[in-house]
Amino acid sequence: MNAASPPSAEVSHRPQAAGERPPQPLLKVENLKVHFPFARGPIWNRHRGVVRAVDGVSFEVFPGETLGLVGESGCGKSTTARAILNLVHPTAGHVYLNGQRIDGLNDQAMLPYRRQIQMIFQDPFASLNPRMTVGAIISEPMKIFNLGTEHDRRLEVLRLMELVGLNPRFLNRYPHEFSGGQRQRIGIARALAVQPKLILCDEPVSALDVSIQAQVINLLMELQQRLGLAYVFIAHDLSVVRHISHRVGVMYLGRIVELATADELYARPRHPYTQALLSAVPIPDPAKERKRQRQVLRGDVPSPDREYPGCSFADRCPWAEPRCTQSPPPLEGQPHPAACFVANDPRSPRRQ
Amino acid sequence: MLLEVEDLRVSFQTDHGLVRAVDGISFSLDRGETLGIVGESGSGKSVTNLAILGLIPQPPGRIESGRANFRGQNLLTLPRRELQKIRGNRIAMIFQDPMTSLNPFLTIAQQLTEVTMLHRGWKYKQALDHAVEMLERVGIPAASRRVNDYPYQFSGGMRQRVMIAMALSCQPDLLIADEPTTALDVTIQAQILELIQQLQKEEGTAVILITHDLGVVANVCRRVNVMYAGRFVEEADVDALFAQPRHPYTLGLLNSLPRLDEQRGARLDPIAGQPPDLTNIPPGCVFHPRCPFRIDRCPQEVPALTERIDHRRYACFVDVQHQARVAVKENG
Repeated sequence: MNAASPPSAEVSHRPQAAGERPPQPLLKVENLKVHFPFARGPIWNRHRGVVRAVDGVSFEVFPGETLGLVGESGCGKSTTARAILNLVHPTAGHVYLNGQRIDGLNDQAMLPYRRQIQMIFQDPFASLNPRMTVGAIISEPMKIFNLGTEHDRRLEVLRLMELVGLNPRFLNRYPHEFSGGQRQRIGIARALAVQPKLILCDEPVSALDVSIQAQVINLLMELQQRLGLAYVFIAHDLSVVRHISHRVGVMYLGRIVELATADELYARPRHPYTQALLSAVPIPDPAKERKRQRQVLRGDVPSPDREYPGCSFADRCPWAEPRCTQSPPPLEGQPHPAACFVANDPRSPRRQ
Repeated sequence: MLLEVEDLRVSFQTDHGLVRAVDGISFSLDRGETLGIVGESGSGKSVTNLAILGLIPQPPGRIESGRANFRGQNLLTLPRRELQKIRGNRIAMIFQDPMTSLNPFLTIAQQLTEVTMLHRGWKYKQALDHAVEMLERVGIPAASRRVNDYPYQFSGGMRQRVMIAMALSCQPDLLIADEPTTALDVTIQAQILELIQQLQKEEGTAVILITHDLGVVANVCRRVNVMYAGRFVEEADVDALFAQPRHPYTLGLLNSLPRLDEQRGARLDPIAGQPPDLTNIPPGCVFHPRCPFRIDRCPQEVPALTERIDHRRYACFVDVQHQARVAVKENG
C-alpha cells in the first residue's frame, strides 16, 4: 500500500543502504474504525445513529520517526491515538506493535505493551494529579511496572527531571507550583520513565504560549535524537506539525485524506482540503500575507453522524464532480497518496 | 483621534499580593484604523480593554490612574448610565468564546433585537428586520428562518458570526475583538478574519484586535502594540515590526515561531525562562531576566517607551538589530 511508504533516508535516523529492505514498522494501524452509537429524542421517536469518529485509518510509524496527524476539531485525530492504546475500543481494524496484534486485548494483556507506548496530553493542568508531588508522578509508571528499587527509582526521577529541563530540587513540589510549560515537562518525564519506544503526543503544545511552545518543541526533538523515540504527533497547528514531523497525515472526518513527507506535503499538497487548510494558515509576515491568494472554504466541518456514500469533503470542495458523491475515493496516487478522484485523474486539469 | 488612552494602570488585589495587570500604557486610535495588541497569556491585553469599557469588577480590581478619551469623554470616570449608552452602541466588543458570550436560553432573534431596541429605541418588528439583514450580511444562510434558532443550533464559526452581527448592529465607531478566532479552526478563522475586514471596509469602523497569534496580526492589522507583563514594549507599523523587530521580546517571539514559509526542522530559538510573576515584577526593564541582550543598566532603570529611530516606539536601551547582526557575523 502506498500509504505505508517508509520515510526517506534523509529523514530516517538510521542510515539505510541501497537495496536494504525497509525496516519493520514499530506501529502499524490497519483500517482502524471507532464508531460511537448514539440515540436521541424521546423514546417514542427515538433517533438512532452512529458517530464515525474514526472511519478507516491506516498508517505505519517507523522507529525514530515522527508521524504528524493534522486536522480540525472533530476529525478523529485524538480518538485515533486513544484507540491505538485501547483506551477506547476500536470498532474494527487492527493495531500492531512490532508485528504483534494489540487491538482487542484486555487491560491485563495490554499492560506490557503500554510500557512501549506512552502518551502526552494536551492539558498540562488536567493530566497531572494535583495531590501528588512531581517525584511521585514521575516514578508512578516505574512502580506500576516494578522497575528497580525505591532508591533506583528516586535516582531515575532525578535523572529524568534533569533530562527534560526541570530543576531536580523541585522533586517534592506539587503541580500547581509550576507553570504550564513546566507541567508539560513533567508530563514528558513521566512518559519517558518506562523507556517507551513510541510516544503519542496529543496536542502537547497547543495550550502553551508561543515562547514556551518553542521550548517544548525543541525538547521533544532533542529527546528523539538522543533516545531514538518515535512520535505520533497530533496537532491542529500546521506550522508546528510541519516543523516536528517527518511524515504528515491530513485527517478529515475520520479519514486520512493525504499522507506524505512533511516537505512534500507542504510544498505540493494534492488534496483540495490540504490546499485550503494550508492557505488558511496566516503567515507572520505582512508582505507575504498581502500577496497570498487565500482559498477560503465555505461552510463548516460537517457532522460525523451523517453517512457519506462518497467523499465526505465533497460538499465543501471547490473541485467536486458528480462522481465524488457516489463512492469514497481511495487513498492512492503519485507522488504521494491522496484520497481524491480529481487529483488522481490523469485527464483532470487540476492534477498536479 | 477616536480613542486616546493615557497612562492606564489597573491592579488586582489577590491572596498572593497586588497584581499589576496593566502598568502604565498609552495608545491612540484613529477612525477606521486597525490596531493590534499582541502578547502572551497574562500580559494584560484583555484587562486593558475591559478597563476601557468599565468592565473591571472593583474590588478586587482597581483603576489606579489613567484616562481613556473616547470622542471627548473620559470613559474611566463616566457614570454608569452614560457608559451604558456607549457600550454596545458606539463601542462594541466580541469575545474569544462565542458559546459563553451568547445566552443559551434566548433565541438569536431575542438577543439581536435587544441591542437596537435599547440603543435606537426601535420597535420589535423593525429591530427584527434589521437583525435578519445583519445575519445575512455576516453570511448566515436562510437568515430569516435561523433567526428563531437557539445558540446551540449553531456551530462555533456561525456563533462568532452572530456575535459579529450583534456587535455591528448599531454601526459602532469602535469594535474591540478579543481573540475572536482563537477558539476556531483555521479554515473557519480565515472566514471570520475576512468577514471582519470586509465589514470594516464597508462601515469604516475602527478595530482593536487583541491576539496572541502573530500570523493573525500580520494578516489584519496596520499598527501593532506588543505587550509584556502589563506594559507596551514596542509599537510599530506592521511591516516594520515584522521586518525589523526592535525590542528583544518581539524578536524572541518571532524567533520562537515555526513557520510554513521557512526551512523545516531548523532549531527554534525560544525565549529563555518564564514570564514574570505579576505580584513580583522585576526592577528595571520587566524583560531583563529573560533578555539575551541585557546590559548593566537594564535591571536598574525602566526604559521608557519612546520614539528612538524611524517613528517607532520601543522600550529598550540596546540597538537589538545591530547586536543581532554582530552576533550573526561572529557565529558565521
